[in-house]
Amino acid sequence: MNSFCKAWLGLVLAFLYLPILVMMVMAFNQSALYEFPFTFDLVWFKALISNERLLQASLNSVWIALANTVIATTLGTLAALAFARYEFRGKTLLQLLLLPPITIPWLIIGTAMLIFFFWSGIGRGLHAILLGHVALSLPYVIVVVGAQLKNYGPQLEEAAATLGASPVEAFWRVSLPLIAPGIAAAAAFAFAVSFDQFVISYFLAPPGISTLPVEIYTSIRKGFTPEINAISTIILFVSMGLMLLVARNYRFGGNRK
Amino acid sequence: MIISRRQRVLASLTAPAYLWLALTIFLPLSAMLYFSFLTVAPVGGRESSFTLAHYRAFFTKEVYWYNAWRSFELAFYVTTFCVVLAYPAAYALTHYIKGRWREALFLLVVLPFWSNALVRTFSWTMVLRGDVGLLFTYPAIVIGLVHAYLPYAILTIYVSLEAIEQSLTEAARSLGASPLAAFLRVTLPLSLPGVFAGAILIFVPVTGSFMEPRILGGKNAMMLGPIIENQFTAVFNWPLGAALSFIMLAIMLLMLAAGAPFFARYLRQG
Amino acid sequence: MTHSQWTRRHVLAGLATLPAVGLLGQTSRANAKEIKVLNWQGYGTDEKWALEMFEKNTGIKVTHDYFNSEQEMLTKLRTSPGTYDVVLMNNTFVMDAVKERLIDPVDSAKITHWNDLSPAMRDSERFVQDGKHYAVAWVWGVTSIAYSTEKITSKPDSLEALWDVANKGRVGWRDDALESVQFAALATGQDMNFPKDLDAVRNKLMGLKDQIKTFWSSEDEWNKYMAAGDYAISTYWSGSAARSKKAFKLPVEFVVPKEGAIGWFDGLTIAAGAPNPEGAAAFIDFMVSPQFYVPWDTNVGAPASANAAANAALPADALNRVVLGDAETVKRLHWMAPMSDQVRQSYQELWDEVKTSFTK
Repeated sequence: MNSFCKAWLGLVLAFLYLPILVMMVMAFNQSALYEFPFTFDLVWFKALISNERLLQASLNSVWIALANTVIATTLGTLAALAFARYEFRGKTLLQLLLLPPITIPWLIIGTAMLIFFFWSGIGRGLHAILLGHVALSLPYVIVVVGAQLKNYGPQLEEAAATLGASPVEAFWRVSLPLIAPGIAAAAAFAFAVSFDQFVISYFLAPPGISTLPVEIYTSIRKGFTPEINAISTIILFVSMGLMLLVARNYRFGGNRK
Repeated sequence: MIISRRQRVLASLTAPAYLWLALTIFLPLSAMLYFSFLTVAPVGGRESSFTLAHYRAFFTKEVYWYNAWRSFELAFYVTTFCVVLAYPAAYALTHYIKGRWREALFLLVVLPFWSNALVRTFSWTMVLRGDVGLLFTYPAIVIGLVHAYLPYAILTIYVSLEAIEQSLTEAARSLGASPLAAFLRVTLPLSLPGVFAGAILIFVPVTGSFMEPRILGGKNAMMLGPIIENQFTAVFNWPLGAALSFIMLAIMLLMLAAGAPFFARYLRQG
Repeated sequence: MTHSQWTRRHVLAGLATLPAVGLLGQTSRANAKEIKVLNWQGYGTDEKWALEMFEKNTGIKVTHDYFNSEQEMLTKLRTSPGTYDVVLMNNTFVMDAVKERLIDPVDSAKITHWNDLSPAMRDSERFVQDGKHYAVAWVWGVTSIAYSTEKITSKPDSLEALWDVANKGRVGWRDDALESVQFAALATGQDMNFPKDLDAVRNKLMGLKDQIKTFWSSEDEWNKYMAAGDYAISTYWSGSAARSKKAFKLPVEFVVPKEGAIGWFDGLTIAAGAPNPEGAAAFIDFMVSPQFYVPWDTNVGAPASANAAANAALPADALNRVVLGDAETVKRLHWMAPMSDQVRQSYQELWDEVKTSFTK
């Protein structure tokens, strides 16, 4: 089993990275139309430096994704705790209500949000985009953290309580470290949902302000160039570096031996 | 009315998330639900009246129910492949790989998320073109979507496997269970919450997908997702687009309800 | 208890950042030195060199918002009143927008190139109501066919080339209901705007099943499919064909077949309640000028200008002069007429049925 599973994991990773390698390679290819033969050139990275719009949009994306990750992970974990630790009327209904944000096409949610935000005075802007992203991320966080909490009964928290810990202390000292891998995974989901979200952002971004996916999707008409590959490559390496840095201080994959 | 401490705790745990959802999702969607029963969207001073015609259209016109079926069929294939591919990989991560290596590989699984979906899909067109000969076929759609959603399955299954006490399997082994039996009777049932969570997180969005099918599937891309999109972008028919999405949502809720007893039995066993 | 206070404070602090983020989103209010334009991306108004030229001349800074379909453009106008100054609109949508009071009339005195604009478009009933002009005719073009000169050696002269078995599996087609119906109507000898025999249209379109390689939806996709050798012949836009040839060096030629092709023209409008109507008019005036148009067509590739003087200033070999400048060709064009939402919706359903038949 051991070697079979390891080989399988290797194949899965190869599958995951095949198109990403292609993406990176094309960032260094001269042709604007992604044509072969491959000719090494840094032209797209150079073009990027003067593309303020794309850089500003990337920065917006990073900030929104980070804010979204913090808010959605916090709110979602609280709700997941309620579902895992309490039986109450309306619980199933609340859980089913998590489906619409992921089932109803974004385009419809986006149109609906645009109308409602206009009507209610929330308006368009980065604040509106953040509101929308958190809403889309919440179901993911609640489902993922919930799946983790299912495996830990309340016994440990009860034990902590009998030893004199307050519920909050029990959560903080006992449950939180146990469900940390789930929360880390949920945070990864939340970040990814926001970082790659374009339809909602596209509707809610006012003129002159945009996010990276919006830039990419609207540039389809004109032609997205390997500049997009170049910035994707940079982002990938930067985030890899950041994650490694964080991983030095915190064990992502859980802390069991 | 006396509000108990318990109710206060419950409210403070759930209220923030659900108030947020109410403001940004449920209120706006209620408006859309209302529109789905109107002849035309009541914007720009248009006169509209109540009708069930858009819901009726789904059941009477082949183009809608047939493509809904195609969407669910695609979601079924993609979800199955994702779970089958992800399970052994997640198992390897939790059971056979330790320490720093595990962290590094965990990060590698998450990292593809950090690149744009459109760019990734476009990269697939370059991989599948030429001698591979799969571009613009149905399998190409499945490959692209499995790639996009595989990390979801690996993550949820990983999280679930990781939480299982090693001592439980060891106990089963010491009671004479074979490794396979211990896996089938202990580990697998305990990991099912993660499998189901992953399956839901994949099945639901894939049903509404439109970008990957269009870019990778060429003529085979016809599904319900693109039809709904077109009601908003190509023609001004929000009521039909909204009605079709709410039908899709209803079908998924029915599927969950039908599967609930089955899930519950498994989860209790675990 | 210390933990609980800490978390609560933390959440509050998190929430407190919200209004701050909100402020970021709404920095500059209406500014006389700024205008906001709503257009397709990469459709002239956002050319960087042009915006620099305009800002240098007038001191007005231009920012953009984009739409991916006409319906989105209307939705954005409806839900963001007082946001936009200049909006690009296809002629068939202008009167709808007037009816909904989404756009204001344009003062022709502020457009210095007014008299150079071709009267047929400038004074078209699609733009004028009660003697007021609601759009300034800007550019026009043709949706027809383009082919790869490497793959097809003899110039196709009929729409039938798209149905020719020789081109089986190498035809490009835009995934658009209206355009599909229009082409099929032309190919079956019907009035493009009001085809009577929709069954003939449907059957003709179903005949494309083995012909089409894959659909395209944007100029970018078209270029990439053409470069990768997926298409030998495809439906396409005239201005884009010029760009493919000039900017991307693709071996393509644009033809208007004997059955004719689809003609369209676009206007620039001023949004109702525009924060800076003066700046909007100045920008529109710049957009219809030869100073902008000639470099746009020569260096980038553009549709034909509604400004006759601007067209005349193009180099003699420009596609807009060679193909679209030919009176005989222009006579073969069928101009797109406005249509009701109901007709649009019925076309969409027809096209969805056709595409469903492709999967069986």
